[in-house]
Amino acid sequence: MTKVQLSGVRKVFGTFTAIENIDLTIESGELVALLGPSGCGKTTTLRMVAGLEAPTSGEIMFDDKDVSHLPVQDRNVGMVFQRYALFPHMTVEKNVAFGLSVRKVPKAEIEERLAEILDVVQLSGFRHRFPAQLSGGQMQRVAIARTLITKPSVLMMDEPLANLDTKLRGEMRRFIRNLQQRFGITTIFVTHDQVEAMELADRVAVIFDGHLAQYDTPDTLYRRPRTTDVADFMGASNLFAARLAAPDRAETAFGTLKVSPRADLRTGEEIDVVLREEAIDMLERPDAATHQALSGEIVARDFFGANVNYTVACGEARLSVSEQSRRLVDVGSTVWLDIAPDRIWLMPRRTIQTEI
Amino acid sequence: MAFKHVQSLSERLSPFQKFYLIVIAGFILGPFIPLLIQSFAFRWAWPDLLPSTWWLEQRDKSMLPLAWDYVFSPYSRVWEATVNTVFIGSVVTVICLAICLPAARVLARERFRGKSAFEFFLSLPLIVPEAAIGIALLMIFIRLGLAGSYVGIIIAHLIPTIPYMVRMLTAVYQGLGRDFEEQAMILGANRRQILWRVTLPMLLPGVVAGALFTFLVSTNIFLLTFFLGQGQIVTLPTLLFSKISGGTLDASAAGITLIVTLPGIILLILSERFIKEEAFGKGFGN
Repeated sequence: MTKVQLSGVRKVFGTFTAIENIDLTIESGELVALLGPSGCGKTTTLRMVAGLEAPTSGEIMFDDKDVSHLPVQDRNVGMVFQRYALFPHMTVEKNVAFGLSVRKVPKAEIEERLAEILDVVQLSGFRHRFPAQLSGGQMQRVAIARTLITKPSVLMMDEPLANLDTKLRGEMRRFIRNLQQRFGITTIFVTHDQVEAMELADRVAVIFDGHLAQYDTPDTLYRRPRTTDVADFMGASNLFAARLAAPDRAETAFGTLKVSPRADLRTGEEIDVVLREEAIDMLERPDAATHQALSGEIVARDFFGANVNYTVACGEARLSVSEQSRRLVDVGSTVWLDIAPDRIWLMPRRTIQTEI
Repeated sequence: MAFKHVQSLSERLSPFQKFYLIVIAGFILGPFIPLLIQSFAFRWAWPDLLPSTWWLEQRDKSMLPLAWDYVFSPYSRVWEATVNTVFIGSVVTVICLAICLPAARVLARERFRGKSAFEFFLSLPLIVPEAAIGIALLMIFIRLGLAGSYVGIIIAHLIPTIPYMVRMLTAVYQGLGRDFEEQAMILGANRRQILWRVTLPMLLPGVVAGALFTFLVSTNIFLLTFFLGQGQIVTLPTLLFSKISGGTLDASAAGITLIVTLPGIILLILSERFIKEEAFGKGFGN
């Protein structure tokens, strides 16, 4: 169990600043995702924690001990690469035992720990296979076993679910979660996929352009993004510019919205509003509305089995509405949209349009 | 994957593909046919398509076919030339690997100013005619006392082989990626352990291919060996040249030609088996 702390960490490559300044505390036993678009510095952050890069300035601490300049070999961390980096010329057994054999652990102990860990990852029957003879999920489990056998104080993973198909993803997610809880190991993983981050992590650190944009639990991040960029990255589909006409009213291109007042926003201020597509109730009659009724016309319908997505044209704006597919409303129908004020999230207008 | 039904080659190929294969095989094997015939002929003069007299008919006059009788006799110097060729080829290959492995690693992984210029510079020896290199080197080596020595020939052989080897190993290193070495480092391996347990075994197919290529190029270099050997060091190509420079392909020249191809063929067969079993058989399936 190790607490990982980054304080004032900055990383510069030549003239390029990968990490501006990051402060991050990962509690002992926590599972944290570093989320951000490619090139945002999340991988660099992970590599600095692993010891593959040294921070230009700032400190990385494990349990309040500065390890910033401790060589990788002495840091006792574990890393599972995105493409697993299994040694192709070694069998599963040799791969998994690698970390122990280079440390000159006695043969009998290696054998004992090997049997134990292969049992944990359910690969005991595969010891003599080569990586090329394994499926993606099995390769990942070998990579995890190879890391866990060295009893690392921090486990790191690079895009752990990215290379797996949908069915395997669910399986692997539960597997990683169980393993992490069983060993109580502090785990950090990197991803550019907000779904992956939310599926797996206790807390998510969103990183943009080398800055920590928000560090919260997945549900807070999803429902209460701090900035428009975060909302955008977390997959908010209904993001509109608005003006706060009154503390509880926002004027948008598609009409006036009843909103919950926020103390930090002034009346008259230009803001952004986020409407979660699943928080919108689509009504076929305006009088059924409880909060507000914005009229619009369905212009497109996308059927996803359990869910249906409607694109509703309200004036100039196009709103996306997601429903369970208990009913299907035809394209061309006039509908009224009802949104509870506390489900509308207001944010200061973003200053620079970030390309995501 | 391992139990995939394997069709026989003739079932899988279209008539055109079969024809194409036969033509290719003809091009590769064709030149050997007259050589083989010549080496077993007793008299074979133009315009006969086949020898008018075979050795077998005249075996009371000569114990062995004329070609082989000459080749195996001490004054043909074939044995000496073979030993020289294999020795020079092996030393050149080892030195070439030692120079090119670290260079390729840097070229594959690092970015630095003037890298592309440097890469161009590396391939210059392939652009400058061999004769020019040979004459210039000879002048220098005579002054240094290296002409007619093994050292001189080995240095000369490194000139055309290094550019190929560097390119080949650079490509192999690029395919390797840093992940494996970084992973080994995280797992606690030191530099020596990483090199011997991870990097070299993974580079092996490329290293074997590069070494094979270097060896074959070295054993086939005529001009540089001829200039710098000063006639004191005989290798198979120079021996062959002295035999056929008169313009006739007689039986003994045919025999020597066949001997010259032997190291290459043996090496190809060995390495083919080695590469397959050691590396590709285990599968580099990422």
